[in-house]
Amino acid sequence: MTKSLRTVTALSLVARAVAAQASGAGTDPRLATRLDKPTYVAVNAIVDSARAAKLPTAPLVDKALEGAAKGSDGPKIVSAVQQLRVRMTSARAVLGTSATSDEIKAASAAFEAGVSDRDLARVKAAAGKRAVTMPLAVLTDLIGRQIEVATATNLVIQLEKSGVKDPELALFQRNVRADIDRGADPTVAAQTRARGLTQRGASTSKPSE
Amino acid sequence: MSDDDVKMSQIARVLRAPVRLSASFDARVMAAVRRLPGHERLKLWARLTTPRTVTVMPLSWGLLAASVALFAVLGALHFVVDVDRAAKPIANALFPAQAKPAPQRVQFVLVAPDAKKVAVVGDFNGWDASHAGYQAQHRGGGVWSVTAPVPVGHHRYSFVVDDSVWVADPTAPRVVDNDYGVPNSAIVVPQE
Amino acid sequence: MEASSDAVVVSHVLRGDVDAFGTLVERYRDRYARYAFHMLGNREDAEEALQDAFTRAYRSLPQCEDPERFGAWLFRILVNRCRTVGARRGRRARTFVADETALLGAAEDHPAERTAWREEIDRALQQLRPDQREAFLLKYVEELGYDEMSQLTGVGVSALKMRVMRACERMRELLSEVHSV
Repeated sequence: MTKSLRTVTALSLVARAVAAQASGAGTDPRLATRLDKPTYVAVNAIVDSARAAKLPTAPLVDKALEGAAKGSDGPKIVSAVQQLRVRMTSARAVLGTSATSDEIKAASAAFEAGVSDRDLARVKAAAGKRAVTMPLAVLTDLIGRQIEVATATNLVIQLEKSGVKDPELALFQRNVRADIDRGADPTVAAQTRARGLTQRGASTSKPSE
Repeated sequence: MSDDDVKMSQIARVLRAPVRLSASFDARVMAAVRRLPGHERLKLWARLTTPRTVTVMPLSWGLLAASVALFAVLGALHFVVDVDRAAKPIANALFPAQAKPAPQRVQFVLVAPDAKKVAVVGDFNGWDASHAGYQAQHRGGGVWSVTAPVPVGHHRYSFVVDDSVWVADPTAPRVVDNDYGVPNSAIVVPQE
Repeated sequence: MEASSDAVVVSHVLRGDVDAFGTLVERYRDRYARYAFHMLGNREDAEEALQDAFTRAYRSLPQCEDPERFGAWLFRILVNRCRTVGARRGRRARTFVADETALLGAAEDHPAERTAWREEIDRALQQLRPDQREAFLLKYVEELGYDEMSQLTGVGVSALKMRVMRACERMRELLSEVHSV
């Protein structure tokens, strides 16, 4: 790049960063530099409305950045961000206003995998006071490995009710994955591993709060 | 054009006829607008009351002088701000949290014998495949790995091989990704 | 000022020239009045939504990323205002009053016939679901492409196509009850 072209590029980057900064509280400068203008305006509007609704906005910004990184076109990015916002709104409606950003993210991913509001509520109820982030991540993974939504949901709820903690859930997921990689039927693998944990859980762990 | 299209076009032509507003519309809008704080006054107030971090990038003096001239034209008095560092005060303003727990160091491993370059991208690094801290090293035998900081919580991520191929982490929980058609993995980093 | 581009006028407003905003109001009010009127079904709501959109645009003018495309940015604000006003006043004045037709541009020949036909169309339009009406107006009256519509509304292209299709089906049904359409 010639020196003058570098100068022009640097100045325009500067102008855009300043414009992004000056355009109001909370505008993520990375969006301004990575999205084209119409997409940026549209995404910002969605982020602003989410902020007004007191939803976490970082996941929406991340979704837009992900789309830019993957070379998606503007309308697809806007659509993805909008749909995430809708899922996050539903997630919070089910999980309650005290849900953390991580729980909302995990619940949004679960919705995408086909988990219903009702099932999410059941997962939440089974967790009691514990966070649902890990159970939902495991549930989403099981569904992604071709286990039916209803079966996967019931398995995860069973594990939660047995007092299985997050590290054990993570291990459960890894074991199921390894079994599937070795040729096991996904549902059989998951049910087998879950039985192992719940039986152990029933005899050794105290019921959670 | 199909019959249906023709009919809809006829209907649309009718609907495109101009619509007259009440005679006082313009005056009412301008009256409402004049009741709002004016823009010059707003900017001054914002300048006086908003705390801001000012950082100067290591630009050449010539470039800096040119930037100042540009800003004078834009009517702003900012200096160049490091874009990523600027995001932090904004993020803190949005989530005036709870003291955030320290990120955990997480090892990412991918077996890719034919790869020339492997990077980890995710929502913890703005999906930036060129981020310095997330470039995997080839350890031999097609095994690539990097240990990098990931904040506590739920994250989506993927590997990018040779700056072009997106590969979900085969060892990690999957997320269904309908949005962009390219797979992702999830990681939940527990608080230590 | 009249002949200046939107970007020039916006820069005047941002430097404190409130009256300059009047140029933008004059420039865009008729075109967007049409959209608001057909979306909301009566003049009062249309003027409220339009006035709202202009005042919001004025307030957020520093956030207008591309002043050269002020019109498109303003339209986006208006589409949202129409949704809010429509939802809030859902039950009010959906019926189309003959008076309202007088607001429409003068007809060329056979004024009575034209007026009746317009009334029928607007009556049918008001019976569409708001999201279908919105998509129909943006596609056929504002003549936007689906990508533009998607950016304006935040709705995916395939969902928009579905809405337009349903709207057309419904319009045909409703209008064939009156005329052979």
